[in-house]
Amino acid sequence: MAALLEVQNLSVHFGGLAAVDDVSFAVEEGERLVLIGPNGAGKTTLFNLLTGQLKPSGGKVLFKGRDITHKPVYARTQLGMARSFQITSLFPNESVLTNALIGLQGVRAGRYRVWGAFTGDKALRQEAQKLLETIDLWDKRDETVASLAYGEQRKIEMGLSLASGPDLLMLDEPSCGLTPTESADITERIRALGRKITVLMIAHDMDLVFGVAERIILLHFGAVSAEGTPDEIRANQTVKDIYMGSHKASTAGQ
Amino acid sequence: MSTFTITTLNGVSYAFILFLLAAGFSLTFGVMGVLNLSHGALYMMGAYFGLAIVSKLDTFWLGVVVAAIGTGLVGLGIYFFFLRHLYGKVPEQAVLTIGLSYAFANVVLWIWGPFAKMGMTPSLFTGVVRVGDLAFPIYRLAIVGIGLALLVVLWWMQDKTRVGAIIRAGMDNKEMTRSLGINYGLVSTLVFLFGAALAGFAGILGAPILGAYPSMGDALLLLTLMVVVVGGTGYIQGTMLGALIIGLLDTYGKAYVPQAALFTSYVIFIVVLLVRPSGLIGRKVF
Amino acid sequence: MATRPADVLFGRLARRSASVSPAAAGKGGAAAMLKAWLPAIVILVLMLLLPTFVPSYIQSLVTKMMIFALFGVSMNILWGFEGIPTFGHAAYFGFGGYACGILIVHGGISNFWLNLLLVIVFTALLGAGLGIPAFRVYGVGASDNPIYFLLVTLAFGELLVRVAIAARSLTGGSTGLAGIPYPDLGLPITINSFSFYFLVLLIVVVCLFLVYRLVNSHYGYALRGIHDNERRMQALGYNTWLYKYTSYIIAGAFGGIAGALFAYFGGVMVPGNMGMAMTDIVFLIVIMGSAAWYFGPVIGAVVVVGVEYLSSVYVPDRWPLIMGTIIVVVIMVIPQGIGVMLLGLWRRLVRGRSA
Repeated sequence: MAALLEVQNLSVHFGGLAAVDDVSFAVEEGERLVLIGPNGAGKTTLFNLLTGQLKPSGGKVLFKGRDITHKPVYARTQLGMARSFQITSLFPNESVLTNALIGLQGVRAGRYRVWGAFTGDKALRQEAQKLLETIDLWDKRDETVASLAYGEQRKIEMGLSLASGPDLLMLDEPSCGLTPTESADITERIRALGRKITVLMIAHDMDLVFGVAERIILLHFGAVSAEGTPDEIRANQTVKDIYMGSHKASTAGQ
Repeated sequence: MSTFTITTLNGVSYAFILFLLAAGFSLTFGVMGVLNLSHGALYMMGAYFGLAIVSKLDTFWLGVVVAAIGTGLVGLGIYFFFLRHLYGKVPEQAVLTIGLSYAFANVVLWIWGPFAKMGMTPSLFTGVVRVGDLAFPIYRLAIVGIGLALLVVLWWMQDKTRVGAIIRAGMDNKEMTRSLGINYGLVSTLVFLFGAALAGFAGILGAPILGAYPSMGDALLLLTLMVVVVGGTGYIQGTMLGALIIGLLDTYGKAYVPQAALFTSYVIFIVVLLVRPSGLIGRKVF
Repeated sequence: MATRPADVLFGRLARRSASVSPAAAGKGGAAAMLKAWLPAIVILVLMLLLPTFVPSYIQSLVTKMMIFALFGVSMNILWGFEGIPTFGHAAYFGFGGYACGILIVHGGISNFWLNLLLVIVFTALLGAGLGIPAFRVYGVGASDNPIYFLLVTLAFGELLVRVAIAARSLTGGSTGLAGIPYPDLGLPITINSFSFYFLVLLIVVVCLFLVYRLVNSHYGYALRGIHDNERRMQALGYNTWLYKYTSYIIAGAFGGIAGALFAYFGGVMVPGNMGMAMTDIVFLIVIMGSAAWYFGPVIGAVVVVGVEYLSSVYVPDRWPLIMGTIIVVVIMVIPQGIGVMLLGLWRRLVRGRSA
């Protein structure tokens, strides 16, 4: 059976520098794949290529068997991809409820309706209630997002990425900036996602990584440095070198 | 065929006036990300300041100096009192400077009246040079000469001097430039002053061939915008190329196909927008 | 983009009135809806009665205010709600006026309704045409680089001014197109200055209502989302280009309607009506009235048209200077606009009364 997401020799160059260098991997349906790597390794850049925010210099991206390499961002979401952002990217001037409504509407019919009041859409509101209750923010639905605490905003961040009902959920550092308690909470929520959703995640927090991952890929200088199960990665010397920042690792990439 | 050569000279000299205008605009806009839409009005004021001196004191060169310094100071005032406080708010900068341009035009109208003024060419450059059958106005040749000299100087500054490097670095990454200890604020202010002065200089220089009337700012601003879009920002070569294209097309159009005169430049403008939005020789923005 | 505090206010206002719309009908739905709309209803009644208690020159002034209110509201779809810095909106206003006038004077289409329909169609076509190159230089989330779109739309407006000057046989050149009569409704009523007021009132109220529904609809909230975070909207599945493009056309069409009314009002269209000065006026109207509030531009139109009238009476020929000064003062001192302030005052009054 074909993988849900297939990445083939994907590259992007800025000037002379390869930010993502000939990366290939696949994500199977229902899998939990985590991307790790030091800062600047190209993880978010890779995400941007996969979601279409950035155009590749070479290579292919296949989703559900279809070549989506040149498809615009919104089309990929319509096909079943969704992502969360490392730097919280919400609608700060709108209420929590409106954020949820907007998030849900993106892939649903009726998003071009010019007549009926948006906030009066009962069906959409019910879905928003379900979504916000899942992240325990229904009580704060009328608060402006900008006034919420950072941890609450990160929950909305993840909530928005689930709003489109994706088959592939791409999370970029979901626990970025969170307290250990909040991180643990996020880890639990990700683990609780059913097998209908495939998870591709970028993470630094090792508790989160090993709490979620079934397979791990290490990215270094834009290229795949190691790949394997959590146990294999834990035992991998290259991984240790890169994360320990040993002299060998910094020259290995050059 | 002979008229073609004369027309070409007219087109090229016109192009150099546009170049001076657009270079000034491109500097403030490209360097500081600041939109000064009173740039056309500055051109207009340069023409008026200069012509006022010329008619009072009968000396063209002092007029040029006064025009440049005068508009430079006005530009400095605009930056210091208004634009400086609107950092990053580009639409507000645009609305404000447009408002200023109409205020300035109205003041000029108030003082000098609505009728167009023609500048007299300075005695040094009056007359024509004869080559065979053709008579080339010396003044237009002078404009080309002065324009070329400035092009060379600006190009050299852009590529070979520290100031040019600072400016180019600032265009790419303001924060980094600042953190390198360079007083980017001072550089910005001086650049703005220089850009405004260039506009005034272009105004008085162009007065003998283009005249001066209070509402001329709008038309010239439009041309400046087209030059900047067609040529691209960030490189003086781009501005020159854009000015040549727009200037020549406009002049040939007026000479040979008067009905379609306006359309040639506009068509190029829209085509470049569709095909190469960053301009022909511009820093890649899109 | 700067935060828009009034949007929270407005958001609540919209939600309240929306939640009592027939779609979410509940007990006392009609009564609650009446309460939310009471100020608007009062103003509407006053407007209907206005001609009976003011002299005709005031009535004429109010007619002009209504026209510019529609102009401002149409532009604010793009600027206030969607965050698009369109500097060529006057082009649609002026083009609508010219289309209206040309259809009557040269095309013989004097029936008001047919003429208006054609104006809408032609203005929409213009928007569809110019929108393609204009949005090529927009980028994603133009708060990062609004300069190019701004410059290009500005250039388009000025371009149309030059076209109008050049196409003398059609447009009357730089002196403009004159002799536009009052509308012919095709009914046994002759329109004069008095009845024109009511016609404008009708058209403007209908248009304001339509645009109100638009900005509160699913489509309208997508526009707001694009304003706040276009990148996220794309990630959520919205084809943001399509929204921007269609809203540009729609806003242009409503601007064209205002322009047609303006043509009838003054009887004359000049090239400058499409240019930079007129665009700056509509920006002043929107900014002064508050871009963050739907009805802000209405307030702005009242103030700007009023001041313009006063200056024409006391210091004729100095209006551009006064306008420039007002623009500078508003942008430097009250950039959020007075509409927000008035709205806050009103809500405090209302809350005080019910407390």
